[in-house]
This record gives sequence, structure tokens and C-alpha cells, in this order.
Amino acid sequence: MRARFYRFDQATSPYLYILPFFVLFGIFGLYPLGYTAWVSLHDWSLLSDEHPFVGLKNYGELLADPYFWNALRNTISIMLLSTVPQLIFAILLANMLNRKIRLQTLFRLGMLLPNVTSVVAVAVIFSQLFGRDFGLINWILETLGLGRIDWQAGTASSHIAIAVMIIWRWTGYNTLIFLAAMQAVPKDLYEAATLDGATPMQQLRRITLPMIRPTLIFTVIISTIYGMQIFAEPQVFAGSNAGALSGGNARQFQTLTLYLVENGFSKGFEFGYASAVAWVMFLIIIVFALINFVLVRRVRSAS
Amino acid sequence: MRTLSRRAGLAAVLALSLLGVVACSKDSDTGSSDEKITLNVGLFGDFGFQPLYEEFKKTHPNVEIKERIADFGAHHQNLAAHLATNSGAADIEAVELAYISQFTSQPGKFHNLLDQGAGSMESQWLPWKWQQGLSTDKKSLIGLGTDVGGMAMCYRTDLFAKAGLPTERDKVSALWPTWQEYVNVGKTYQSKAGKGAYFFEASGNMFRAMVEQGQTGVYDNSDKIIVGENPDVKKAWDLTVDAIKAGESAKLAAWTPEWTAAFGKGTFATIVCPAWMTAYIEGNAKDAAGKWDVATVPGGSGNMGGSHLVLPKQGKHPKEAYELIKFLTSSESQAAVFKKTGNFPSLPKLYDDPSITGFSKAYFNNAPIGKIFSDAAKAVQPQHMGPKTGDVMTAIGQGLGRIEQGQQQPDAAWTQVLSDVAKLQ
Amino acid sequence: MKSLGKVGHLILLGVLLLSIFPIYFSFVVASQDNSALGKVPPPVLPGANILDNIQRVFDTVPFGQALINSLLVSAAVSVSVVLFSTLAGFAFAKLRFRGRTAALVLVVATMTVPPQLGIIPLYLLMIKFEWTDSLVAVIFPALVNAFGVFFMTQFLREALPTELLEAGRVDGCGNHRLFWHVVLPAARPAAAVLGMLTFLGTWNDFIWPLLVLQSPEQQTAQVALSTLRSGYVQDYSLALTGTLLATVPLLVVFGLLGKQLIGGIMHGAVKG
Repeated sequence: MRARFYRFDQATSPYLYILPFFVLFGIFGLYPLGYTAWVSLHDWSLLSDEHPFVGLKNYGELLADPYFWNALRNTISIMLLSTVPQLIFAILLANMLNRKIRLQTLFRLGMLLPNVTSVVAVAVIFSQLFGRDFGLINWILETLGLGRIDWQAGTASSHIAIAVMIIWRWTGYNTLIFLAAMQAVPKDLYEAATLDGATPMQQLRRITLPMIRPTLIFTVIISTIYGMQIFAEPQVFAGSNAGALSGGNARQFQTLTLYLVENGFSKGFEFGYASAVAWVMFLIIIVFALINFVLVRRVRSAS
Repeated sequence: MRTLSRRAGLAAVLALSLLGVVACSKDSDTGSSDEKITLNVGLFGDFGFQPLYEEFKKTHPNVEIKERIADFGAHHQNLAAHLATNSGAADIEAVELAYISQFTSQPGKFHNLLDQGAGSMESQWLPWKWQQGLSTDKKSLIGLGTDVGGMAMCYRTDLFAKAGLPTERDKVSALWPTWQEYVNVGKTYQSKAGKGAYFFEASGNMFRAMVEQGQTGVYDNSDKIIVGENPDVKKAWDLTVDAIKAGESAKLAAWTPEWTAAFGKGTFATIVCPAWMTAYIEGNAKDAAGKWDVATVPGGSGNMGGSHLVLPKQGKHPKEAYELIKFLTSSESQAAVFKKTGNFPSLPKLYDDPSITGFSKAYFNNAPIGKIFSDAAKAVQPQHMGPKTGDVMTAIGQGLGRIEQGQQQPDAAWTQVLSDVAKLQ
Repeated sequence: MKSLGKVGHLILLGVLLLSIFPIYFSFVVASQDNSALGKVPPPVLPGANILDNIQRVFDTVPFGQALINSLLVSAAVSVSVVLFSTLAGFAFAKLRFRGRTAALVLVVATMTVPPQLGIIPLYLLMIKFEWTDSLVAVIFPALVNAFGVFFMTQFLREALPTELLEAGRVDGCGNHRLFWHVVLPAARPAAAVLGMLTFLGTWNDFIWPLLVLQSPEQQTAQVALSTLRSGYVQDYSLALTGTLLATVPLLVVFGLLGKQLIGGIMHGAVKG
């Protein structure tokens, strides 16, 4: 009896253990994913009780909407402006932290501090710093004789402001990840290179970067996915007027997620259309992740 | 044993935290009139209701009242979302004129006040104010009017003096019988006032004032958007653009911290002043007492804004909520609110009440604001508001904002406005 | 490995200051009254109004309730994620069963799906369950996540000696008892890190709570904070006081457990 129970237990318990995950994940993760595709094929407004099937009409309208393309451009621009400097800073900082340093723990803690601060808090603080009339940054610029910038009004300036928020929050986190990867690189490689007279910069390029390539790929892809979904920073930065979801008067910093929420949760509650936006966004993210994957691999083979 | 207790602890924590959450998210109040109930009141800005709540509680000791305040845009957007999802709305919500038609077109989402016997009070209100609270099919009344926004023009006497303009209110009124002349005065002001001084705060307010003075605005009477067809709208746009080009606008977006701070710093010299705006001026610039004064608005009379109090169907206590809004919109309450905050009554019997007509405020240089706003309210010719007036105004305001911020030329901005509002139809 | 020179240390010090400054500055503004806003030059030292401003935050929005809500949500989600991830991680790392590899691949694959993709149907689901505007709507969809399972699988595969499990089996322990008596204790270091990461992530989550929680009594701290920023009272000192109040609990956790957190992130990175 006991033995039979034991065998039964051995056979079923693994499934029992993964069951909670797959049940919950199925309901709240997978099911919504598929259902988004179904909703996107309907004229599905939350305000009406009829949801007629319309085929690919939402996708057609989406691709014909200049505001969608505008949001896509803004998203890519903000993503590049934030991801590229962020990763470069993180690599350089990790390279410094990877030496023998004083106050090691303090520096590491300092690196992670911005990441513990919430996105909303960061956006509130930086919106104040980047304020047109009373912002600290404009005060500094004016004192230096450079003149004030209406950060929110310009396309480039608003993208920079938002990118700064992202860079500030994520650089330290990526630094720690790179640092961990660098510490796994065998030390004798550097010693040999030093004997050959390689400068620290050469060592970074020739040894460190190729050696931490898997981490690099991982980080680039994660940062890209995160960058494609930016929402809180521009939403808070836009302030509070009725058009806040449009990301400025000229939609100069409306990201794809803002565009999704604008269509789905304000004007008309067009869930069908917003679902189409979600799917297109997902495809774009996949494309970008693949491009990055290929690019980062080639960086290595070139060196 | 140790591991066992840890296991039990872990399960208990999970269970407790889940249970606790579920318990707190349940609404527990239904039942008799003796039971304590809470009425939530969702407002944008300070309606001056606080002392009135205290009075109401004297006759309704079982009622607790909580205010939720958001800003103008967020408030109406959230209300639309709460109605769409049937959750989250307060028991009583304020709705401003630009948004009222959006909600009267979905009467099923609100308690019908006629069922509570509100019909007998119709004669107390300005007829058009009452009408605005009726559903599109006229079968139900969704809101009772609080205030109306008869317009005036507030100005800073000290800044006018510095720019060599008259400061006495009749002379100031005489400067601008029309909006064109107002813009011209602005040009004079810009040439004399120094750098960093502006004639008005934001172009959106000025535009909205001009449009709402017309016979028809952005909608015709059959609820069709006529931004492109109505010559008055384009005229108002062109004149506003003219003023922007002359550098008269401080380019502040209303209800932002910068806008708020600018009142106190005297960044701008004039602001279109429906009665309710006086509350914002006083609240935003407490130190500027005596420097503001009130003249007549260019272009004749007109109504800008004003609100209704509505009862979303989600509310669990329609009887008490109705009693509260009836009390808040009674003539005694409206008169008290006016004297405290400036929101002007929508009950015409008060317009000849000496305690109103004789009312003046030291903050506004003792301007007889009771008389000014009574006259303004009496002269108002109501304009039909369509279901998405608020969104249309937002789209136009963003167009003006693009010109102010130098992102677009006026023609391109107008073209984009037309295509934006076409999508709203 | 050479040690870092003076210039390098100075740069790191500069970065440290950049990390701290925005938080410090938010404290500076939070401790002023709003009229200090337009001052030239802007204030760089704290003022005396911090308590007044905190009082005003609590008067303006039910911030105390929001902090409690955030705490409840984050705690419930963290406990659940740790528990279910450890369970699944145990199965994936140490038990043999049909379909294991396929299931694990599925878990890893879903890690790349952005959560935004599901918000529309999730919202419809919440309406159907009548969960909108209640904290369960924020808790349930977050009860498990693929990262947690992956993280725990990786950790248990290495840190849990198979011999230990076999010894237990010889003594007649079934998998259930093994889980509670052997696996959970062994998973404690990773559980602490995963719990902390989940807590931070849940505490800081914004878009979903913003959409699904409406009335002020149900909002989490992040949503209340954004309401404060776009509220009627247009006041930077108020908004930044709220920012501080929503951040201080995290800073306390960070101060106490920051070193483990760093260890966890770096460890996870090597494995990931």
C-alpha cells in the first residue's frame, strides 16, 4: 500500500508542483495573449454592447494612422537615446568597479539606489528638474549663459529628458550585471595581455567584451524590450492636462504604450483597436530583439 | 518541528494577506438610515462645499462625506472610464459644461433625479441650466446645476499702471468692446511691459471664451461637429493666433504648477474670468490681494463653464446623495458658495437679491463682483453643447499649443485640428 | 588586476553623487513651501516644512491607505511568487517527468512576452470577475511569473544536492515532505532575493494598477503618487513629498538588505 502510494506520488507530484504556475499563468498570462488577437479582429468598444467581427480592419486603420507611425518613431528614438548611452556607461563603470577599489560596497550600493526608486517617483522628480520655468536644469543652463530650454515642447529635447530618466534608473543595475560577468573572466588573460603591452582600453575591447558576450546579448535584448514599452516616464512628464496621453501638444513624445492606452482607455474605449496596437507592438519588439541578437553576435565575430 | 512551524507560518501569511485584501475591498454598507454611510463627492477644484457638509451632517448625523479632488481634465476622463467599467465612480460627481452632454447622452448610467421628485424645482433654475442637466431624450434629469460662468475679464491694476494703461475698471472695460480691440491693447501692453511680461496666460481660455459667446459653437443643434464650417470658430482661432504671434501669451498650460505659480508672480496681466475663475485667482495668488480687479469681457456676454452635480448609478445611496446635492444647490448654499469662492449661482432669484448684487471683495480691489456677474448671467444666451465638446476643445487647445510652442505654423495646426476633430464625430 | 587610480575613484564618486542627488533634491523641495518654487537661485538646502507637507499629502489623497495597499499587494505577491516558483523550480530541477523539457522551454519563452500585450483582455477578464477597482485585480495576475520559476530552477539545480534528496527518499519521505523539509530550507537564500526583487517590482508597478484601480481608497502608492502630481493642488513640494513617502519604505528595505540584493542580481546574472 505504502509502496504504491509512493510510486503514485513520484509520478504525479511533479505535475502537482508545476500546476499552480501553469494554471495561474494560463488564466492571467497565456489566455489574455491569445484573446488579444481575437479582440483585435473586432470593432470592440467598451461603451457598446455589440462587438461585430471586422477582420483585419483595425490593423489596416492602424497602419494608415500617422499618429501610430509617429508613436513608433518616438519610441525607437527614446529607446536608442536611452539604451545606447546606458549600456556604454554601464560597461565603463563595471570595468572600473572590476579593479581593486576602495569603498567597494558603498559604490555598489550607490549604483543600485536609482533602480530601487520607482519609475513614477523618478518621473516626478525629473519632471521638476526639467521644468520650463522653475526647473533646476534650466536654471543652471541660464546661469551658464546657455539660455532656457522648453524641454517638453521640443521633440529632441523631450526625448532627451525622458531618456535621462531611463538612463539614471537603469545604468547602475546593468553595471552590476556586467560586473558579475566580468568577474567570471579568467584573470590570467589580462595578465598575459598586460605583458604583451595591451592598454586597458584594448583589454576591454579584445578580452572583456567578447568574454561577456552572452551577458551583453541578454542585457541588450532586455533593455530593448523595456525601451519599447516606456509608459510611466512620458505619462508623468506630460503633466495633467486633458491631452496628457497624447504625449505633448504635437504628440512629440507619445510612445507606443501611451498610444495604446490613449485608444483603449480614453477616447471611446476602443479595445479592438488597442488590441491591434498591442499585437503590432509585440511583433515590433520581436523584430528588434532579433536585430539586436544578430548585431551583438557580429560585434564579436568582427573582433 | 521548526520546519513545520515555518511552513505553517508561510501558508498563514499568504492566506491572511489574501483574505485581508479581499475583505478590505468589499463594500460593507447597505441598509437602514441609521447605519453610518459614507458619501464620496468627486470634484475638480475647490467648490467651497466644506462648510456646507458640516451643516448637512447636522440633519443627517449618519452620513459621512468625503471629497475626492482631481484636476479638470483627469476628473472628466476618469469619470468616463468609471462609467464605462461600472466601477470606481463616487456617489456624487461634478460635471463641467464642456462634458455634460457626453453624460446626458448615456442616462442609463445615472440615477434619474425626476424619480426623486426633482421636477418640482425646475422653475428655480435658469431654464437653459436646467435643460443642460436633462438627458438627450428629455426623459430623465441626471444633474442639478451648481454654478454658471457668466464672463468678465480680470486684470492686474499694478501691471496695467506700469504699462501706462488705465487702471480704473470702467475705463479698462472701455478699452476692449471687442476681442480685436483686446488683442490690440495686448500689443500696446507687450510694447511697454518688460521682458518676461505677458498680456494673458494661455491662449486656450481666450479661444474658448470667444467661441462660447457665439450663437453656436463647435456643435450645431443636431450634434454634428462644425468646427470647420462655423465661421465664428475660425475667426476666434485666427484672432487667437494673432495674439500669440504678437507675443501676448505666457504659453502656460492651464492647471499645471507653472500656471499656478504664475498667478502669484504676476507673469501675466489679464485672464478671462468666468465667475469660477475668481476662486482660482484668489487661491493661486494669496499675496496679490488688492492688485486684481474685474472689468467686462470683450465681445458682449457669454457663459463659460459652470457645473452640475450628478449621481452615477453605481452609487449605493441615491436617496442620501440626492438630499445632499439638493442641499448643495439650494439658494442658501449657492449664495454662500459665491461669497466664499466666487462660483456664481444658477438660480435667477438670487440675481436681484441685494446680498448678492451688493457683494464685493477686497481681494479684487472691492470690485462689485456680485453686480458684475449678475449682469453677466442675466445676459447669457445659451449655446448648444454636443457630446464631445470637451474633447473637441482639447484638440483645438493642443493645436493652439503647437503654435505657441513653435512646433507648427498656424495653417498646418488648423489642418491637423480639423482632422483630429473629424475623428471625434 | 590593477587597482583603480585616483581619477577613477573620483569618477565613481561623481557617479555616486549623481545617483543620490535627485533623491536628495526631492527632499529639498519636499521640505520647502510651494512659494519657494520660483526662487532664484533654487534652494539646495532643506527647509523646515517637511512635516507640514506630509500632513498635506495625507489630507489631499488617502496616502496612508495607499501605502497599506501597496504593502498588502507586494507582500501577497512576493510570498506567492516565491512559494510557487520554488515548487515549480523543484520539479524542473530535480524531478523527472514526461514533458519536463517542453514545459521548461515554454516557461523561458514566455519570459520575453511583454506584460502590456495582455492588458486589454486582462481588463475584460477583471470586468467579468467584477474585480475592477479592487486590489485582487492587481494581486491575482501577478501571483506567478516565469522569471521566478526560471530563477528558482537554476538555483535549485546547483544548490540542492541530489544526494540529500535521495537520502530523504531512502528514509521514506515523499516528495511533499522533501519539499517542506529539504527543498524550502535549501532555497532560502534565493527565496530571499526573489522575494525582494518581486517586492520591489510589485511596489513600483504602475501601468496596470493605474488602469484597473480607480477610487482613491483602492489605489497603490504609485497611482496615488501620480494622482498627486496631476491633482488639483498644483504644487511641486506636495508632489515630491509624496514621492519621498512612497520611496522611503523601499530605501529602508534597501538599506537593510541591499548587499544581499546586489549579490542576488549579480548571481542571477552569471547564471542568466
